[in-house]
Amino acid sequence: MTSSTIAPDRARPARSAGTAQPSRKHGQLHRSEARGAWTLLAPYSVLLLVAGIIPVVYALVTAMQTPPTPLNPTVSFGGVQSFITVVSDFRFLQTFINIFSVIIVWLPIMLLGIVGLALLVHASPGRFGGTMRFIYYIPGALAGIANFVLWVYLLNPAQSPIQGFLNAIGLDTIKAVVASPANLPVILAGMLFFQGVGTWIVIVNGGLNGIADEVLEAAAIDGANAWNLTWHIKLPMIRPWIGYAALMNLAYGFQLFLEPYLLDQVASNALPDQWSPNQLGYAFAFSNFNFPAAAAMSLILLVMTLAIGLLIVFRSGIFGEEER
Amino acid sequence: MASTKKLVVRDARLESHVPRVVGSQHWTPGRIARIATMLFVAAIFIFPMVGFVAMAFRDADNVAAGSDGFLGLGGMSWDNVMFSWSQVNGFGPGGGGLFTTWIGNSLIVSVGGAVLAVLGAIPAGYALSRLRFRFRRLVLIVTLVTMVIPNTVLVIPLFLEVSAINAVGELWPVVVIMGFYPFGVYLSYIHFMTTMPAELVEAARIDGLGEVAIFLQVATPISKQAVALVAFFAFVANWTNFFLPLALLSSNQQNKTVSIGLQELIGSSPLFNPTVAAGLDVKLYMPQLALATFLSMLPLLALFIGAQRFLMRGQTVGAVKG
Repeated sequence: MTSSTIAPDRARPARSAGTAQPSRKHGQLHRSEARGAWTLLAPYSVLLLVAGIIPVVYALVTAMQTPPTPLNPTVSFGGVQSFITVVSDFRFLQTFINIFSVIIVWLPIMLLGIVGLALLVHASPGRFGGTMRFIYYIPGALAGIANFVLWVYLLNPAQSPIQGFLNAIGLDTIKAVVASPANLPVILAGMLFFQGVGTWIVIVNGGLNGIADEVLEAAAIDGANAWNLTWHIKLPMIRPWIGYAALMNLAYGFQLFLEPYLLDQVASNALPDQWSPNQLGYAFAFSNFNFPAAAAMSLILLVMTLAIGLLIVFRSGIFGEEER
Repeated sequence: MASTKKLVVRDARLESHVPRVVGSQHWTPGRIARIATMLFVAAIFIFPMVGFVAMAFRDADNVAAGSDGFLGLGGMSWDNVMFSWSQVNGFGPGGGGLFTTWIGNSLIVSVGGAVLAVLGAIPAGYALSRLRFRFRRLVLIVTLVTMVIPNTVLVIPLFLEVSAINAVGELWPVVVIMGFYPFGVYLSYIHFMTTMPAELVEAARIDGLGEVAIFLQVATPISKQAVALVAFFAFVANWTNFFLPLALLSSNQQNKTVSIGLQELIGSSPLFNPTVAAGLDVKLYMPQLALATFLSMLPLLALFIGAQRFLMRGQTVGAVKG
């Protein structure tokens, strides 16, 4: 271990501690410190290996194999054949088009809702703002299937509280509501907004609270009204959070599974069974038992979300300078 | 140069922070518009939830007929909910009882996963924030990236792995997989960054303590907040996880969690699948589905309401500014 390789890691804690240790016996201390660090990291490292790295490597190996068939039950090396199978599947492109049709409707509404409501909450000091923030947050507890059942209640014209509206636009059964291709992106956008917006309001609100009081006071003394404060000070200062929210939600959109999977179930199979990329991967694995293709599909999705993930970590400005 | 910049974590005191210069004290049009907008949005959030919970206390025929008044609040009764419970609890072979089995399984995997997450995350977060070693930056970046990637992307590779060791349908692989919780490592990392001065570690070293002993005797006693946050978020994430149990546990009726159990209840409802439902002793209409959903979410709702302030602080830690 040379001192140059550890210098970046050393510099920060030493600086924040404000204590230089010129007299330390570097090599020995570092070795015991590194040994301690890896001991403490051991449980997490095992979990990271077992639930993160090994499955990806194993998926890579699986994707390079040929699927067993009744005629030839042994697997052999298939190169990129399974990737070709996946990409040339007639549903492959369509699943991504479907995802984009949702993201285009949902992401702008989501960002507008997050930023707008976070700003409104921040402009409401005291108990009222806090209560509102909490109310927006509650549906987050209903994430997943509970949110879904709640939406079945909203969408089924038979008993929906918005029955009048649904009937007025000519929809009488839940199948009719869900099965229209134009409705689906709007419905999914609504579901995702309802369960997700509250958490993000809290996060962006935390960013707003990080703006120093002095800045806001100085602007107010200069004659800025609430609108000026919002537009010229608050919004520019929470830009990293908005970027973070946009990218995280984009990544979330790529992995949609539960909602289209279950909507299909309540709409008497009126939707395509493989509507989203994750559903297609699921079908490769559990309907076709083509594990190499399923592995290839997940790796394609993984690469896409990994790219978004790297953007978040290195470009959103949310995670400290030292991660750049 | 990256190494000269230090990580600064913003103070995330939410409750004590009252912005004084915003929010007019007079009833100006702007103020009225702000309050009206916020109340309107709150109503959009609350009405469906109230109507949904009320439905669990109503009669299926009235629900289908759309009677019982505003949000169905007029038709609520204890008898209805007891009947609904008999139907939900009666689901399953040989007199039912599957629902409570599912709840039990959810408890096992959620608690087990959260315990593993804490055991992994607390020491790892400490090591990453306060110890110097090779590849520290790499481990941190891998943790951050795995934290922001949606976990469902890995479900099929995980299924292949578990299937390779013939453990599909068993609970323990789900517990282990849920124990991998990089967001918890990040929470713990931020916790030690902000609450534990590096001088404290130095002082303990001078006193002759080893690195692991410093963690156990100095860091652990001040990590209660981090333990609670990691446990809470991990528990909620595990409880609502759908895709992982669907892939790993669907094949074993007795080992399903309640999230995929609810899916089975939906699939057995005469509203959506008359063929399957015709063969069942119990009838699962909307009130029964609402009750099952409400019961399955009760632990989370209670936690959310009980831990409100605490939790919002933790969410904010999830997005710190460097």
